[in-house]
Amino acid sequence: MAPARAIARRTLADARIRDGCFALFFVLFAFANPVGYRHTYPTLAERVAFAHSFGTNKAVELFYGAPRDLLSVGGFTAWRFGGFAAVITAIWGLLAAVRALRGEEDAGRQELVLAGAVSRRSAYLAVVAAISISGVLMWLAIALGLAAARLPVGGSAYLALVTVAPAFVFAGVGALASQLASSRRLALEIAVAVLAACFLLRVVADLGSGLGWLRWGTPLGWSEELRAFADPRPAVLVLPLLATALLFACAGLLAVRRDVGSGLFEARDTAAPDYRLLSSPTALAFRLSRGSLLTWLAGMGVFAGIIGTLSTSFTTANISANLRDQLHKLGGATITTPAGALGFYFLLFVLAISLYACSQVGSIRREEADQQLETLFAFPVGRRGWLLNRLALATAGAAALALTTALLAWAGAASQHAHVSLARLLEAGANCLPTALLFLGLATLAFSFLPRASSGIAYGLVTIAFVWELFGSLLGAPNWLLNATPFQHVGLVPGQPFRAAAAAAMLAIAGAAGLVGIYVFSRRDLAGA
Amino acid sequence: MKGSGAKGGSATTTAAIETQGLTKRYSATLALDGLNLTVTPGEVYGYLGPNGAGKTTTIRLLLGLHRPTAGRAALFGVDAWGDAVAAHRRVAYVAGEPFLWPALTSAETFEYMARLHGSTDRAYRDLLVERFQLDTNKKVRALSKGNRQKVQLVAAFASRADLLILDEPTSGLDPLMEMAFRQTVEEARACGQTVFLSSHILSEVEALCDRVGILREGRLVDEGTLAELRHLSAQTIDVVFAGPAPTIGGLSGVAVERTGPNGLRFEVSGSPQRLLEQLVRYPIASLTSREPSLEEIFLHHYDARDGRGSG
Repeated sequence: MAPARAIARRTLADARIRDGCFALFFVLFAFANPVGYRHTYPTLAERVAFAHSFGTNKAVELFYGAPRDLLSVGGFTAWRFGGFAAVITAIWGLLAAVRALRGEEDAGRQELVLAGAVSRRSAYLAVVAAISISGVLMWLAIALGLAAARLPVGGSAYLALVTVAPAFVFAGVGALASQLASSRRLALEIAVAVLAACFLLRVVADLGSGLGWLRWGTPLGWSEELRAFADPRPAVLVLPLLATALLFACAGLLAVRRDVGSGLFEARDTAAPDYRLLSSPTALAFRLSRGSLLTWLAGMGVFAGIIGTLSTSFTTANISANLRDQLHKLGGATITTPAGALGFYFLLFVLAISLYACSQVGSIRREEADQQLETLFAFPVGRRGWLLNRLALATAGAAALALTTALLAWAGAASQHAHVSLARLLEAGANCLPTALLFLGLATLAFSFLPRASSGIAYGLVTIAFVWELFGSLLGAPNWLLNATPFQHVGLVPGQPFRAAAAAAMLAIAGAAGLVGIYVFSRRDLAGA
Repeated sequence: MKGSGAKGGSATTTAAIETQGLTKRYSATLALDGLNLTVTPGEVYGYLGPNGAGKTTTIRLLLGLHRPTAGRAALFGVDAWGDAVAAHRRVAYVAGEPFLWPALTSAETFEYMARLHGSTDRAYRDLLVERFQLDTNKKVRALSKGNRQKVQLVAAFASRADLLILDEPTSGLDPLMEMAFRQTVEEARACGQTVFLSSHILSEVEALCDRVGILREGRLVDEGTLAELRHLSAQTIDVVFAGPAPTIGGLSGVAVERTGPNGLRFEVSGSPQRLLEQLVRYPIASLTSREPSLEEIFLHHYDARDGRGSG
């Protein structure tokens, strides 16, 4: 029992920073939604108007799912918070499981653990217990945020349960993927692919007419069917419970039967030599990141296509004066035209491409932590040129993403005969780049000054900036503080004109940060893990 | 005049490695303390020290991966930190922990490293692949530590670089591969390449190195050829008498130990002249004299803390 407890404690300790970040996000996100709704729609009339306009909009449902009750604070929160947060908790769950199971094995530590006086079974169960404890903490964080926003405690606890149920199911998915794949990366890819399929199924169920029954096929749909604050159906909880138990049991059976370090899908360990893209470190970086760039391109491309086809779904139905005011504050007065709607949704692409920029600096840092850079810089390779080239590669990747989203959004919109020109959408794509490059520059700065914390800082900055953009104004923050987030300065192209001055300022800051980062990196010691 | 740094001299007399007062401090730890080191071209230099003595720190400074707190290091007269890229054109490095690109096969790794270095001797590389028995179509992630080490060794030696910096290069190799390694170092020596071999495998250093430096807690405590190092240490003389061993004592620089009813062992520092004058008075059955092994020299520096600790 003692070794198992030590394993569980180790797992919790390893995850503490990630868990802390997610919990903080959940508290704030849960708190901001009810508060924002009360602030924006104080009267019943406005809530009815909202329910008739936004609440029945396909493009909005895409993210949040189908609403049940938009007239009460709780009902609104269940829809607006629950639908989106369920996806985030699912991501948390699969990350937690893959990290604790396949990650440990990939790093070779699992052999060390199992060489101790502990059976495979109890080692596995200890990890599952640790993940469950973290899951309960996420549940508490969400319930706390909701209750703090003056929602009823019982309802808050139930909605939190609804939201956190996918976390457990997808932790099970991650656990199973960890048994199938023989590397952490492949396990993550499998789990993310399952999540993407489940999300797509929910979207189809919610948007298609007469396809509502499909909701029963996806854990994200179960959360909708639990109907928090509208018409609670706790019996549905049996589904996520059963699924979680089944997934963890299957994963456990495999875990105690297979060779440590291997997976059911054996990785191909030999290959005929392929000498392409070996001419320089930048070429190799491109070669090694091709797969992940293609995944980004495919994911964002599909999404942009869907958004494009839904861009005509906003009608000029009565939008409340208060909402109009809110939209105006967010910078978009014309959501009812396809161009206006696309302008709003491209803000999400700005976010996604900024996150891509962070991931690029993250992979640069990983090469340093894995000490590949020590091997590399013993060759006649200059650090400044190397980093500059890597940042150029990241910029090229971001540009490819921007171009792809623009083209597919245009194709989607054109299929619905929306009046948005290709030129305007290409402009919208290009408009994503200044912000993404700003975050690339800031991440580089973090990488050079605080290498070990750089990934956390980079992702943290983007997340805080975006959450602040969404909720800062709802919480009634003063203007100067609202303007602190770069997202506030992004023109919502194609609905709005491109804001050249803001873009130029962001690019200037990005360039300066990047150059300082390159200089400082060339002057510091390489830092291991 | 071997070993004197010829600063500003012609290319042939410029030291392959020269450090002056090289010091590195990591927050609270003084990892390297005023290292003065000269390695001449064509020399095989053994760099000895236990774990944590500062061997890897020295190498990181020589390669410009970390920045000296004080002092400087130069490779062939080129500053190791300030002009690292130029310095590395003549250098190949084998890291103690082989950190490579897991998704590449060995063959792809060789190709990549050849491009990074600018040139490689492909024929010699093929020979080394044979000698070290590498399956070049295997991906690096599927290789054991010893095999990854071999990938590094093959790439480094095949580069024919003027200076090879090897950080505990044989720590994962089996005895057969260890012999292959020694053969390869001998070939490098024959080609006039310089080898800086950091190690704590004393037999390897003893077999390969022209000169040896011993590092302790960030300072060089002893340096010289093996003959020079032995001179400063005790040699062991075992004597078996044709009868009960007599009592011999009171000689300065000689320690006596009884090894049996008829046997005595003497540890002699400096000349054995006085001891031999004593011994001729007794009937002797056998006498063997042994020079100290490098291991004994090494242990002498670490055990005798009271002795000549500072270099």
